[in-house]
Amino acid sequence: MLDRRQFLKLSTLAAGSLLLPAGLRHAIAADEAITVGVPLPMSGPFAANGKFGAMGAAMAVDEAGSVLGRKLAYLEIDTEGKPASAVRKVQEAMQQHGVRLFSGGILSSEALAMGKEVTKAGGVFITTAGADELTGAECNRGTFRWSVPTFGAIEQTVRPLIERLPNAKRWYTITPQYVFGDGLLNAAKNVFKEKGIEHVGNSYHSLTEKEFSGYLTNAIGAKPDVLLLLNFGAQSSDALRQAVSFGLKKRMTILVAWASGLEQFEALGPDIMDGVYFGAQYWHGIDAPFNRELVARVQARHRMNPNYAFASNYLTTRILIDALAKAGSHDGAAVAKAMEGMKYAGLTGDEEIRAADHQVIKNYYLLKGKPKSAMKDKDDYVDIVSSGRSFLSPEQAQCRMA
Amino acid sequence: MIYLFQLMNGIGLGMLYFLLAVGLSIVFGLLHFVNFAHGAFYLLGAYLTYDLIERGVDFWAALAIAPLMVGLLAAVTETLLLRRIYHLPHTFHILVTVGLALMVQELVILAWGPVGGNVAPPEALSGAVVLGEFVYPQYRLFVIGLTAVLALALWWLLEGTRLGALVRAGSESTEMVALLGVDIVRVNTAVFALGAGLAGLAGALAAPIRGVEPFMGVEALGIAFVVVVIGGMGSYVGALAAGLLVGVVQSLMTTLWPEGARLMIYLGMALVILTLPRGLFGRA
Amino acid sequence: MNRSWVHFGLAALVAALLPLLMTSATLATEVLVFAMAAAALNLLLGYTGLLSFGQGIFFGLGSYALGLTLLHTQLPLPVALGLAVALGALVAALVGWLSIRRQGVYFVMLTLAFAQLFYFLAYTFAGVTGGDNGLLNIPRAALGPLVLTEPWTFYGFVAALFLLAFAGLQRVASSTFGRTLLAIRDNEERARAIGFPVRIFKIAAFTISGGVTGLAGALHALLIGVAPLSNIEYHTSENLLIMTIIGGTGNLFASVLGAGFFVLVSDALSAIWPRWLLLLGALLITLALFMQQGLWGLIERAVATARGRRSVTTAAGSGTDTVEGRS
Repeated sequence: MLDRRQFLKLSTLAAGSLLLPAGLRHAIAADEAITVGVPLPMSGPFAANGKFGAMGAAMAVDEAGSVLGRKLAYLEIDTEGKPASAVRKVQEAMQQHGVRLFSGGILSSEALAMGKEVTKAGGVFITTAGADELTGAECNRGTFRWSVPTFGAIEQTVRPLIERLPNAKRWYTITPQYVFGDGLLNAAKNVFKEKGIEHVGNSYHSLTEKEFSGYLTNAIGAKPDVLLLLNFGAQSSDALRQAVSFGLKKRMTILVAWASGLEQFEALGPDIMDGVYFGAQYWHGIDAPFNRELVARVQARHRMNPNYAFASNYLTTRILIDALAKAGSHDGAAVAKAMEGMKYAGLTGDEEIRAADHQVIKNYYLLKGKPKSAMKDKDDYVDIVSSGRSFLSPEQAQCRMA
Repeated sequence: MIYLFQLMNGIGLGMLYFLLAVGLSIVFGLLHFVNFAHGAFYLLGAYLTYDLIERGVDFWAALAIAPLMVGLLAAVTETLLLRRIYHLPHTFHILVTVGLALMVQELVILAWGPVGGNVAPPEALSGAVVLGEFVYPQYRLFVIGLTAVLALALWWLLEGTRLGALVRAGSESTEMVALLGVDIVRVNTAVFALGAGLAGLAGALAAPIRGVEPFMGVEALGIAFVVVVIGGMGSYVGALAAGLLVGVVQSLMTTLWPEGARLMIYLGMALVILTLPRGLFGRA
Repeated sequence: MNRSWVHFGLAALVAALLPLLMTSATLATEVLVFAMAAAALNLLLGYTGLLSFGQGIFFGLGSYALGLTLLHTQLPLPVALGLAVALGALVAALVGWLSIRRQGVYFVMLTLAFAQLFYFLAYTFAGVTGGDNGLLNIPRAALGPLVLTEPWTFYGFVAALFLLAFAGLQRVASSTFGRTLLAIRDNEERARAIGFPVRIFKIAAFTISGGVTGLAGALHALLIGVAPLSNIEYHTSENLLIMTIIGGTGNLFASVLGAGFFVLVSDALSAIWPRWLLLLGALLITLALFMQQGLWGLIERAVATARGRRSVTTAAGSGTDTVEGRS
């Protein structure tokens, strides 16, 4: 039977009142459930990542079904790719629906802001965003991060590539001008110094840049052996596409240090990717037991291979659910405690959440694009060249857990 | 030496900017209409080209068909919608065209997904030209050549034909054109469709360079405004000169002070409006 | 005078009703923050006839001013808010002083160029603004007995400032100064011929509008605990303009309606359908075609119709004429 409050809610809902806060319909359905909030950019320029991320998270919740004897529910939150919207909607999810567990956040800015907000309310937030500060200078009790920081991304791509190409002594870099880009650039410079590589130049560009011909002309003028692209998403696609049209593939080796994986490769196509090296957090061809299972299940369910956004958000949501079971409580502090030091069979093999800074310790991959003729199926864009894990210590990463 | 390369590169960029902006400029000159949906036509041109090629249509055919389709679509939009708001204040022009741009962008995502895609340049133009140390993609050279030819054709259209005379007369005084017994309403539609078609063509030509993604229209609109304002609203020569200027400045800045490239462009835009309110080539 | 009290009363009513109608304090707070900024924009658009794309500058600078003050100094919250108002007003005076040299579309384009300029400045000087990450960790400390971290208490605090700002704007609008602005909007040449210092008046309108917008930006940063780069983006200006026009430019309360409508509808739609911007686009077009007086005009028409039905002898629409005559 409906009590008066519920009746009021339902009747206003029926009246289609626009004064109702977002997501109320989920809350009504999920009164008894434990809800996982999934804040992702569903609209705006990163909507593609958001869409697959949400599918992954939804699948993890759906597969688990219930935990601690209570139904699991899933609350999708559109961050619009803006920290302001992200924080405001996450506040609302916490105040209105009592959500304390969040898995999501793709852009650095939104993830940093949401992590702070969730932690303030005693919740847990796990993300796949790129900003080093998440488990570095801005680390905190409630924020966890699955993706490898910039240091590991460079160590596991630049270093093995230097070993593969002993004659490539001149490297040129193209870097987006913000903290993330500088993180990659500084890590690369350290490797260059150590290995006696000549860093023949760097071009900074803004986050809104789409036209790279000028930077590529600079690069050509510096006559490097390797062109290292340190931007990500659409910008790295634009830069790579234009580099290939300038015939740079014939003159030098190209490495995209932070690729998004399958979703990006689909947009690029094999002609552009052939012979280019990519660094990636995840690839569906990874030979790890849990990944093979996931790929099979996703193929059965969605008739596609899981891409990075799908797989990573599936896993982070899954981590939350496992931690819930381990903690035996849905209290934020208890779940966070359960996650610290947790070891599990992950997408990249055995993974571990480091207690001191909440960074997941996992592999990063160096991939190489293959020609169309060598592709065994439509998603077989790359071969895995090497993989491994490199992490700064929590102290080096400047994490002081408050 | 590098500056010479950047200069050439900037000219390549600038010609594309000209094509993008000239339609916006003409439409403003004739209709005094502020069109925030101009970038949406560029977006559509790119996506239609992408779609046609994906369906197996030849690149050259797609390059011809996509802008025509955009022009046609623009003519329909003008007839059904925009015509009814010309007489309203600018506020409403902005409101309607911002709304239109949003709708096109979201419809593109609905139709082709949010991911974007790649358009390969035609086989014959996929290589790069090597001039000593300097490399330049053949396709970009082709774009420069084609836009140069188009610029001439457009100049002839605007200066040497009856339509052009009407456009110029119309931008001075609508009543005068009406007195000549010309159906100004149809001229408006034709000019609007032409402007949108040119933006569509710019999008089609840009697709093999930039790929396609649903938010490319927003960026294009920003550049188009800068070019139109610097060149002078309604001025054909201004659009050409300012397009080249912006392209070259942008390109040179990537060598000199890349962080400040955008800063300089918008500072330039503000300075031009303040010192030369009609732009570099606008009619006083 | 009478009418302006009615509008203030309506604004107060909205501020009082939101907690009763809504379950989310943060959403209600956001409504008032944007209502404040939209009303400030309306002083320029509706009363002075200036279509400014620069409001995002003042909003974003307000956020930064508050953030920097609270993060790097020991100064209390009221001072931080005061500094946000001051910075918003100061930069608005500067932007206004330059922009009003041009008219019509050129004015619009100039404010657009300034908006982009300030965005790239904020982006380039990441050491001060935090760049793309924004300024994190903005504290929301207690203010005397007010525990501002409690959502509805914070709402009350924002509501008080909102009503203060609204009353201030209302007072400006209904003063001799405001009536002069209307005269300038309707016929700038004549106003100048009569001897009004038109430029000074326009700059003053900009300054007041910028100050209030700076306050709104500061409160927004306080609400979300971050001063994000997106607050100074061109899109903030665009959204504020859309809110103001949706509400209607005839009076300041209309902007409260517009902001409320925009914030709540976009929040509701974005939860239902990721492609909600499609509907927003359609709405904007509909608005321009059929509801040029905005939501306020719609309400007035409804009221007029209802009155007309009640007494056939009263000519319907006598109330609407004044508003329509103004647009």
